[in-house]
Amino acid sequence: MLEAFNFRVILEYMPLYGKCFLATLWLSALSLFGAILVGIIACAMRLSQSRFLSRAAGVYIESIRSTPLLAQLYFFYFGLPTLGIMLPEWVTGVLALTLNSGAYYAEIIRSGIQAIHFGQIEAGIASGLSYFQRMRHIILPQALGMTIRPMLGQAIVLVKDSSLLSLISIMELTRAGQLLTSERFMPTEGFLTTAAFYLIIYYMLKAFSNWSEKRLIFQEAY
Amino acid sequence: MKAAKLLSGIVALAVFFGLSGIASAGTLDEILKRGELRIACQTQGAPFSFVDRNGNRTGSSVELCELIAKEMGVKVKFLNYDWDGLIPALLSKKADMLAADMTPTLKRAMKIAFTDPYMYTGSVVFVKQNSPIKTLEDITAGTKMAVLLGSTGESDAKKVFPNAQYKTYKGGGPLLINAVLAGHVQAGVNDGSAVRGQVASFPPNSVRILEGQLSRSPLAFAVRYDSPDLQSWLNLFFLHTTLDGRLGKNLDYWVNSLDWKEDH
Repeated sequence: MLEAFNFRVILEYMPLYGKCFLATLWLSALSLFGAILVGIIACAMRLSQSRFLSRAAGVYIESIRSTPLLAQLYFFYFGLPTLGIMLPEWVTGVLALTLNSGAYYAEIIRSGIQAIHFGQIEAGIASGLSYFQRMRHIILPQALGMTIRPMLGQAIVLVKDSSLLSLISIMELTRAGQLLTSERFMPTEGFLTTAAFYLIIYYMLKAFSNWSEKRLIFQEAY
Repeated sequence: MKAAKLLSGIVALAVFFGLSGIASAGTLDEILKRGELRIACQTQGAPFSFVDRNGNRTGSSVELCELIAKEMGVKVKFLNYDWDGLIPALLSKKADMLAADMTPTLKRAMKIAFTDPYMYTGSVVFVKQNSPIKTLEDITAGTKMAVLLGSTGESDAKKVFPNAQYKTYKGGGPLLINAVLAGHVQAGVNDGSAVRGQVASFPPNSVRILEGQLSRSPLAFAVRYDSPDLQSWLNLFFLHTTLDGRLGKNLDYWVNSLDWKEDH
């Protein structure tokens, strides 16, 4: 097995992998930032008193969660130009990932907020706290602490989903593996190296979430 | 002790299978024993291998493979892959042979064994009907071109237009035509017979193929280097079907004309 594994070729492709690793990093980071923002907005709309806003967010969340990301990606890439909207590849990719993960983030944040016992809110109202004070000091610190793990999970899913962007000709980690495979016909070397880089991103995300979990839970809420 | 027993068991099994590998006469025997010829092919490679409007798998290569299986006296099983998944599928022994509109390049031949060529084709450039690009000379350094990952069209294009900007797609030829029509690129490069076959499924007069070929390249089927028996059998198959006219009939119907469009 090991003698069949050609490290020389992997080394030869390292500059390509390095470039593609950075591409995956910043595409994912941008999408992650966008997705959390979209998630917060969609969640706020979903929980709002206005029937219209709540319904609109519901339609968005459900239509995203019920269709595969690949179909959404192809729609944005091949469908939008026929409607006259022409975006560069990377914008299409980030947009698709943002809207896709945004729907999941909306649900994760909502579950965190709704898990807080109503008694606490009543207590807040009774103490004369305003809506924003209640959010700032009671609900959000706890909701954030509780949802950090599922949020990390979704961030990892987002990073892995970014591999689909290779299909719309974006150069990222999976494409690097595909390139090595198609030029040297070595799928084992190509895709194991790709997988190793995804693992690195996973550990980076995990370290960040552990760090923020400690800070948020132990310093803010308790 | 338990571990040692387990280990010796594994070694014994490995030796057994290793020896049985040496003992068996070859791929042809395996195919006969299995009663099934496993072929790696594409589903989006009109007119060579595709799914027609009735949902049936068909095409030039598919009919040739059915003929091969008939002559061998076994059943045929088609395995679907993207273009760049074909060679790995063959190498990992998921398939006995590979049937696609593949050019036996020297680079590919470092990994897989090709049969004798059974036809010749070449890469062409295609653009949107109303594109300002009229001839191959109009393609300049800034022109955005779509190619298929790992295809002959990709290497031909990069040789002829080294300064163009390339976007590489994965999947079938129709994806390139979609990318051209959607305006993501100004031109696409792919095998001529494939493009002519696939353009026919798009609205009429949406795509224009530029005059001239980038290359003249042979097409061949492929096997693994550990299957010299299957390779020489296939060469003989092509010789016989060339002599009795069955190969010519197949190519005239599928590749050299658009006759198949009426039936599929």
